[in-house]
Amino acid sequence: MIAFALRLTLRGGREALARLIVIAAAVMIGVALLLTALGGIHAVHAQNNRYAWLETGTAGAAARHAVTNVDPEWWLLTADEYDGQQIGRVDIAATGPSSPVPPGLSELPRPEEYYASPALAELIRSAPRSQLADRYPGRMIGTIGAAGLPSPSTLVVVVGRSASALSSTDRAVRISRISTTPPDQCNGACYAIGYNNNSIDLILSVVTAAILFPILIFIGTATRLSAARRNQRFAAMRLVGATPRQVAIISSVESTLATALGVAAGFALFLLTRPLLVDVPFTGSKFFPGDLSLSITDILAVAVGVPIAAAIAARVALRRVVVSPLGVSRRVTPTSPKPWRLIPLLLGLGELVMFVVIGRPPTIDGQIAAYLTGVLLTMIGLVVAGPWLTMIGSRALVRRARRPASLIAARRLADNPHAAFRAVSGLVLSLFVASIAFGIITTFDSYRVSDGSSSVAATSTLVADLTSYGPRSRSAPIEALPARARQALGRTPGVEGIVEIHAGPGFARPDQAGPQGFVTCAELATVPRVGHCPPGAQSAVVRAGYRDGWEANPATLWPASARSAAEVDALPIATVVVATDGSTTAIERARTVLENAVGVVVEFAPTTIAEDQALSADTQRSKGYQRLADVVILTSLPIAGCTLAVSIVAGLNDRRRPFGLLRLTGAPLAVLRRVIAFETAVPLLLSALAATAAGFAAAYLFLRSQLGETLQPPTLGYYLAVAAGIVASLALVASTLPVLDRITGPEAARND
Amino acid sequence: MTALVEARGVYFSFGETPALRGASMTVSAGEILAVMGPSGSGKSTLLHCLAGILAPDRGEVHFAGARIDALPEAQRSALRRDRFGFVFQFGQLVPELSAEENIALPLLLSGTRRADALERARSWFPRLDLDGLEQRRSGELSGGQAQRVALARGLVAEPEVLFADEPTGALDSLAGEQVMNLLSSHAREQGTTVVLVTHEARVAAYADREVIVRDGAVTVLTPASA
Repeated sequence: MIAFALRLTLRGGREALARLIVIAAAVMIGVALLLTALGGIHAVHAQNNRYAWLETGTAGAAARHAVTNVDPEWWLLTADEYDGQQIGRVDIAATGPSSPVPPGLSELPRPEEYYASPALAELIRSAPRSQLADRYPGRMIGTIGAAGLPSPSTLVVVVGRSASALSSTDRAVRISRISTTPPDQCNGACYAIGYNNNSIDLILSVVTAAILFPILIFIGTATRLSAARRNQRFAAMRLVGATPRQVAIISSVESTLATALGVAAGFALFLLTRPLLVDVPFTGSKFFPGDLSLSITDILAVAVGVPIAAAIAARVALRRVVVSPLGVSRRVTPTSPKPWRLIPLLLGLGELVMFVVIGRPPTIDGQIAAYLTGVLLTMIGLVVAGPWLTMIGSRALVRRARRPASLIAARRLADNPHAAFRAVSGLVLSLFVASIAFGIITTFDSYRVSDGSSSVAATSTLVADLTSYGPRSRSAPIEALPARARQALGRTPGVEGIVEIHAGPGFARPDQAGPQGFVTCAELATVPRVGHCPPGAQSAVVRAGYRDGWEANPATLWPASARSAAEVDALPIATVVVATDGSTTAIERARTVLENAVGVVVEFAPTTIAEDQALSADTQRSKGYQRLADVVILTSLPIAGCTLAVSIVAGLNDRRRPFGLLRLTGAPLAVLRRVIAFETAVPLLLSALAATAAGFAAAYLFLRSQLGETLQPPTLGYYLAVAAGIVASLALVASTLPVLDRITGPEAARND
Repeated sequence: MTALVEARGVYFSFGETPALRGASMTVSAGEILAVMGPSGSGKSTLLHCLAGILAPDRGEVHFAGARIDALPEAQRSALRRDRFGFVFQFGQLVPELSAEENIALPLLLSGTRRADALERARSWFPRLDLDGLEQRRSGELSGGQAQRVALARGLVAEPEVLFADEPTGALDSLAGEQVMNLLSSHAREQGTTVVLVTHEARVAAYADREVIVRDGAVTVLTPASA
């Protein structure tokens, strides 16, 4: 029977072969997307794992057991900047030959030596020395290997120092092992690099719900191509005496063969496109080719699972044929979806409403579990309720239909709302996730992220925060800016003025009004963009640093201080403000001078106000959400579009005879085209509306209960993304219309 | 009698395979003509050429004195929609539509209001002994019932010519007889010319005249009663 089934599939004429090829091609695309998504998950983990060594010295990544028999080393991580790009700088000092070596290095750099990542090495070579290379003492003796680089584009430098010099720095820590704890497994305080546990959970949840699910729907739709015609054939076999088992075997062989070919081609397509995919910065950084890898479990699950699932689906679809040979040869009024389908959707939204009413769960884990459950339940609810909503909408359309196209389309939608909704379910999920993401991001940004970061003052004013931040207090360890540094800054083209903000009393333990800083009015006058003194004053009281809510505002009138200029100059420095013309040359040269002047004593490298805002945790989180939303939209919309196109072709194929005969009897092709357009556009637009509304409702409820904030209208980018998605989907619909012309030709009139 | 439909030396091939080789024939207004012949003789292809579905490779097709084979497809479509009716062997009903909506479809396509089209469609149910089946789908009708619905659909717009391609081919003899009785009586009642392709002599017996197609050419023209 299997041999007969194979012969039927492979030598069953042009139509059978075409069906085989079309299903295999669709499965190929679906499997390639599925493998890309699975590979993407591995890539995020692989990238995150390579951040582990940069967590060295943090409490969250500390070893549970002390390491003995090694020479400890001094370690200091500092965040640096160059032209809007972040550079990780690790100052390292060995105390003996067995000091641990970070991954990617063959040995530790000695004093006056450093290793740079390949991307940074290239930058150092291409940028003027005074703007970048001068920050690193000595010479570059090599590049850091891939094992120590989260991404090929990572900018990181490992600088060798003497133990005596580095150990005198307050922030340096003594370590005896390099951390192997990635950011997502940190058990306590860690640096905000890579993805923490919550972010990884969020990424996996979103990717599973908004990308993997639509891909599986797409593959499922692809394997059902020509289902009606195939079932008619099987019904005919049953009529001539084939047993249910024989038909089931033939069906399973046919489906499995097409799917297996598609799966094999999908693996090939994935491997062919992988070199291109690694260059797409889905996480903000490129991947290494090996990152986008698949585990044995993934390979087996896809290679075996997809054909098996297709075979099972084929058998399930044959139930009607198997029960009765006439099962598919007759079109009867199908049973309608029932209103109970609304229950999961209402439960999901109800859960989110509950947190608004009774308050959010007390713990972070509890909040994540609660909101993810609510959002996932709402998402599942949309998919379950979709056919019922489609049926309600299409029944209303049937009553109002005046033209044949809208009548046929509405009848078909009302007849089989499951199939109609299945075609757009991928789009529904992506729009739901995108609406939540954009709703939260927009609101988040409007409440937290300052929009002043693009002002001229913000992009051209370099601020060096020289504060040393302790767990409970802070100090200003720099007594004075070296004269050589001041002179160098003064000679730097594009530098317009320098203000030293000195730490006053109360700096170590700031009161509610914030720590006081003092400036001399002579210096303040050289940088008018940060405010001015009262007339006649020698010095003024200002905020000590821009991390204390300070911003560049020329209108600010700082209160006069009773201290003389000399008294102010004698105080230690909390912050240095350098006004530049905004050119990269001026900013980077000034930054290099400041870094060399104060060394790595302080935690933060000098940054412009705009850079500081861009590096803030809120901005980084917002960017992360935005990237995730972009990835969801960019990947799920094409998948949804493909599902839609395959569904249309399948629907056309199954109705080629009645449509063909209608056309031959004079029905204009435009009428049939309108049928397809109606059949697709109505569920597409209704579902888009429902998904968007549900997404914003979920975002609103989350923001109210979790953050006590009100949902803000999304930005133009959201509308453009949604419009682009819908237009792209409609374009895919339009691209299938030529098929209609081909399959409704005169040959439809021939009696098979 | 005046020829309403005429084929003059029509040739048509499917790729390398010739289907018609110089077929010529005429159909008079109000006449029921049976086109007979063995399977593969080209009789359906001849019907498709006469109805303007296929454009012949060579030769001419005339309707009401005007040549139609050279018309653009859009005009031939309009002709088929507005002046011709069709009944095929099976599968012409749109599966999603109810029986009355299927019958009303040609009227809707011609721009008739939905309510009027459905009212005219409903008037066919008692005439075709289909009372009570207005809301049924094609799958809920027997073969004979479905073919009667298709017949009503072919005649509802009162076409000048009804082209019927093996209209009883998928029916048993009793159902086939019922369909043919209704087809011939209503066509005569409306004055509709019928071109009926069949390979069954008892179906051809309903015609006024019959032609035989053999190897792509019309070889015999006889009165059906002869």
